[in-house]
Amino acid sequence: MQVAVLSGKGGTGKTLLSVNLSYLAKNSIYVDCDVEEPNGLLYYDIPNIKEEIVYTKYPVVNHDQCIGCRKCTDFCQFNALAFILDKVRVFKELCHSCGGCKLVCPVEAIEEKDKEIGLVKSGFYESTEVYSGEMKPGEESGVPIIKELLKKVKNSNKNVFIDSPPGNGCSVMESISDADYCLLVAEPSIFGLHNLNMVYNLVNKFNKKSGLVINKSTDNNLIREFAKEHNIKILAEIPMDLELGKINSDGNIVAKDNRYKNIFEDIIAQISEVISP
Amino acid sequence: MIIAIPTKTSGEKSFVSENFGRCNFFYIYDTETKLGKVYTNVYKDGQGGVGIKSSEFIINKGAKILITPRVGEKSLGVLRTANIKIFECTNEIVKSNIESYLNNELLEII
Repeated sequence: MQVAVLSGKGGTGKTLLSVNLSYLAKNSIYVDCDVEEPNGLLYYDIPNIKEEIVYTKYPVVNHDQCIGCRKCTDFCQFNALAFILDKVRVFKELCHSCGGCKLVCPVEAIEEKDKEIGLVKSGFYESTEVYSGEMKPGEESGVPIIKELLKKVKNSNKNVFIDSPPGNGCSVMESISDADYCLLVAEPSIFGLHNLNMVYNLVNKFNKKSGLVINKSTDNNLIREFAKEHNIKILAEIPMDLELGKINSDGNIVAKDNRYKNIFEDIIAQISEVISP
Repeated sequence: MIIAIPTKTSGEKSFVSENFGRCNFFYIYDTETKLGKVYTNVYKDGQGGVGIKSSEFIINKGAKILITPRVGEKSLGVLRTANIKIFECTNEIVKSNIESYLNNELLEII
């Protein structure tokens, strides 16, 4: 099974949940798709982390061959090409590597080269397989790195837990693309509610099964009311607990502590029930 | 000499746009013929790289001077490549900026 954990709002508990669920689940893989601000690896002590560079393609124009027809600059939807002073100029950082410019060029003046955009790190922590993506500063999109991460786990029959990026943009959509189940995490604040609503709409657009965990739960009913109104199942409420918060913010796995273990075990059991064939 | 100014509405009496790349119109003024032309900025609602396309547009219109309140990093790169001189606008109205430029009263953004 593949479970994507997402929240819309940052700092809500995506990493807390996905790290702890993958720690307790058997045959599990943890994948940190939050490539702009990856934190998942901080929970693990992995001595030999394997690093692979992720490349994307970008166009290089052969100016001697170019006839200045501007078909490529007109074609590019991302404004990565411009015709300035009789030459096609390429703005690498805007290129989405679609290859369209090369296709429309009538004189084959465009070739593609590799550009380094980030890393995929991997290793084992106890029995959990761990992957984490990291985007190079200044890059426009982390999507190609997420694609590379998901390729690693695509046909795996292990239990995959995906730590999605915050928000509801391209990188989030990419991270949930193969998911069998979307686990939403929300904190009871107007900000948490607002972003939960956005991400809930996204998950519905993709027709994904979903459930909700309320993190930092208090007597505030904002999220409970939202869940009731939209008929979303609340799988668990993780209390606003100073001790739990401290263990987690020191980079330790909360589920190792018997006081908290059952919260996460219970979530895994409920998800397995919904998605097992 | 051709001068380009990003504007909010069309024409020489328009306010200057606060942005260059995402302005509504470009005012392109020829100091020799003393005539100005207005072009709609078709790139303004683009997702990204708007400054690049706006720069490309004014360069291809033959502009050598750009008068604007500010200019982004990507635009600046393109404009520098084409040796466009950039001057900081001091007045809200398009026409007054052209007069100020011709009187050497504008500061070049370096």
